[in-house]
Amino acid sequence: MSGVSEVLSMYRVPREVSITECHEENIETEQGSFTLKYPVLSPEIVVDAARKAQNARDVYLAHLPLMEVVEKIDRAIQKWLDPDYPLRRWAEALLPILTGYHSDIIRLELKRYMRNFRKKELLRFLDEEFDHPGMLDGFRPRKSGGMSRAYGPHMIFHVFSGNVPGVQVWSLIMGLLVKSAALGKTSLAEPLMPVLFSMSLAEIDERLAESIVILPWKGGEVELEAKAMEACEALIVYGSDETVEAYRHRVPIEKRFLSYGHKISLAMVGKEALTADRYEDTLHRLAADIAIYDQQSCLAPQMVYVESGGVITPKDFSQLLACELERYEKKWPRSALSHEEAMAIHKMRNQAVFAAINGADVNVYMSEMNTAWTVIFHRKADFSGSPLNRTIHVFAVDDLETAAETLTRFRRYLQSCGLAVGPERLFSLSERLGTCGLNRICAIGEMNRAKPGWHHDGRFNLLDLVRFVDIERTAEMLAEQYDPDVE
Amino acid sequence: MKKDSEIIIQKIMAHLTDTLGDEDFQTLALELFRYQFQYNLPYKKFCQAQQKTPLTVSDWRDIPPISIQGFKALTLSCEPIEDCEAVFMTSGTTNPEKRGRHYHPTLKVWDRSMKGPFKDFVLPDRERITTLVISPTEDQNRFSSLARYLTNAVTHFGTARSRTFFTENGLDVDGVVNALRQSEETGDPVLLMGATFSYVHLLDALQEKDDRFSLPKGSRIFDTGGFKGQSREVEMEALYQQFEEIFGVKREMCINMYGMTELSSQMYDQTIRTKFSDGPVIFDKKGPAWVRTVVLDPNTLTPVQPGEIGVLAHYDLANWNSCLAVLTEDLGIEKENGFKLLGRIKGSEARGCSIAVDQLLSANAIQG
Repeated sequence: MSGVSEVLSMYRVPREVSITECHEENIETEQGSFTLKYPVLSPEIVVDAARKAQNARDVYLAHLPLMEVVEKIDRAIQKWLDPDYPLRRWAEALLPILTGYHSDIIRLELKRYMRNFRKKELLRFLDEEFDHPGMLDGFRPRKSGGMSRAYGPHMIFHVFSGNVPGVQVWSLIMGLLVKSAALGKTSLAEPLMPVLFSMSLAEIDERLAESIVILPWKGGEVELEAKAMEACEALIVYGSDETVEAYRHRVPIEKRFLSYGHKISLAMVGKEALTADRYEDTLHRLAADIAIYDQQSCLAPQMVYVESGGVITPKDFSQLLACELERYEKKWPRSALSHEEAMAIHKMRNQAVFAAINGADVNVYMSEMNTAWTVIFHRKADFSGSPLNRTIHVFAVDDLETAAETLTRFRRYLQSCGLAVGPERLFSLSERLGTCGLNRICAIGEMNRAKPGWHHDGRFNLLDLVRFVDIERTAEMLAEQYDPDVE
Repeated sequence: MKKDSEIIIQKIMAHLTDTLGDEDFQTLALELFRYQFQYNLPYKKFCQAQQKTPLTVSDWRDIPPISIQGFKALTLSCEPIEDCEAVFMTSGTTNPEKRGRHYHPTLKVWDRSMKGPFKDFVLPDRERITTLVISPTEDQNRFSSLARYLTNAVTHFGTARSRTFFTENGLDVDGVVNALRQSEETGDPVLLMGATFSYVHLLDALQEKDDRFSLPKGSRIFDTGGFKGQSREVEMEALYQQFEEIFGVKREMCINMYGMTELSSQMYDQTIRTKFSDGPVIFDKKGPAWVRTVVLDPNTLTPVQPGEIGVLAHYDLANWNSCLAVLTEDLGIEKENGFKLLGRIKGSEARGCSIAVDQLLSANAIQG
């Protein structure tokens, strides 16, 4: 252990905002000790910080050409791709302690995640949604005639969740691309990454970073939240249905409200992925989807439908998956759980054990001494959520196409499907899954890694934020007539 | 009833005494486990799934506790359920089919297990007391163990003035007020009894009418059930403060009983009992000698280090027909003189946007 001692503010406000009172938390890490400073907030601080950030945005970011914004984000991201970048090292030291996830997983997944925001990917985000991203700089011609320009909100209030480290960066970058100031409310479960990322931006361009405010507080501080809502033009809320509802009720109608609430993802394994030369890889991929971030991300599978007819049966598959999860546990132990989370796993196991005692064709495979992992095998296809934290249902099915039908009633919650099937079925099955309400089909083994340009929960990343102004063709034509030099 | 059942009942009845020591508890628990393993088939399968059998279990602490979920999902009875004198059900409201059921082929063990400790913890100083009941009793709900409990209390420990004030129209507040005023005048101490939430209604009504009492010396207030939330402790203390303000009954004469449909014995605050002995007043909970409570780590379900919070499991010898070892969903902590109840474990809460199973189930229940 080195003797370094760092003091780190777990917030970011424009320079002229003063935060006088903080409480401190000392944390020991592999890289030495840190003193984390959490601000004591008041409604006045929120108002002041938001106003100054928005001013900074109005006079600077709003006029910055889009490609310069892209360049600047890219340069900040490039820093994060250097293993020796001090802030990355801080993140790698602190996040395992703040979140409980294994340090190797964080190291690996964080850098993979940050690669999503290199320049080429940022261009992909923009091109995906705008015919002409230059619309964010000024009026551009439309195919149907006339001209249009897109304006981002003056200020976006981001309500972040803390389930997956760094996930907030996606939201912050989307806001920057539409040239909005940001007021980010971090969750106490992971308040770090938005702060570190805005520090990186400040290293590149301090004026740009002036339009970002990051403040941690516990959800439910009604006065702070009211001020934040007043200050913003748009809200993006991540979290549970309860969290989303709590905000939705209070948002004035004229503000744009985007939310990313509860979602369930699942996986489907076709018999073609269970051939003698394939099944091990299939298992390995699925175990990774379950183990990375302990299914806390809504992208991770909670159940898997396994087709009969491969060299291993769905039941064999469950047992082998259990072995694979045991190996993960040895290599990358799951994070420690709250009492509630642990008991939820016992309840799920009990439910299955009792069903089996009552004659249901159900088998439970589980880590022996604790709740580290659980595989529940069901002979009969059904739908069942998981209490997460490496708990998965395996449903045996004769064919995946039929299984897809059972999903429809849960459409409101469905999100990703990790799919392992041959090319001849990929599209027909995806059609069915799409009809059932899923919005993302990806490879198993990649479920936790949504790609740039993903239609997040079936929606847009940028288009939903902006407001368009159209100059109709008629205005253009009429303007021509007022040209003193017109013939 | 089968012969073995009669034998086990007899043995247990003989041991439902204050003086039951560790050694006898051990012997009896293991014998009861053998009996239940033999006759309670779902429980046997549950034990086998955990590789626990009478051959491998040599200490009562190793007897696998069955979760209270088991009382919902399984039929846990050594005797045929058709022949049972009573079945007590949990009060789950969402799905009546899925209420926990506890079968009692005879109520004599249950009754015996109730009476001694009741006397010991609630009425250590007297034989009988005027008992005013504000929750439903047995004639109103024969499937409720609490109703049976309340009726027993009135029958065996009540005076002629004892009454229940819960009718099909709800609580008869005026009746309660009159009875309390009468006690004030005559100096006849009362025992108020009811579920914790019943008091909330009563106190609201009394506060609205601005009724205050100064109940005679020796009066006491009994509540059970507590509050479900995480702030249990705070809410309970606030309630006891209101008891003092409105009824003039001090904290040490208030007693919270901790009982469960899935058990056949009850546990109590030791307030009243210790008040009437010479030592200091103890607030920790304790059960009779035939109940042992352990605090388990929710992750491993093995005992926590002393002083750590965990989930409670109870080993109740009076639970002869179902399972003597029951795993609750209550958090608690071991104390010097018993244990402290910290409230119910909430449903699991996912940290982010991923929906967890409880919420999904409730969402489905809403949809329909």
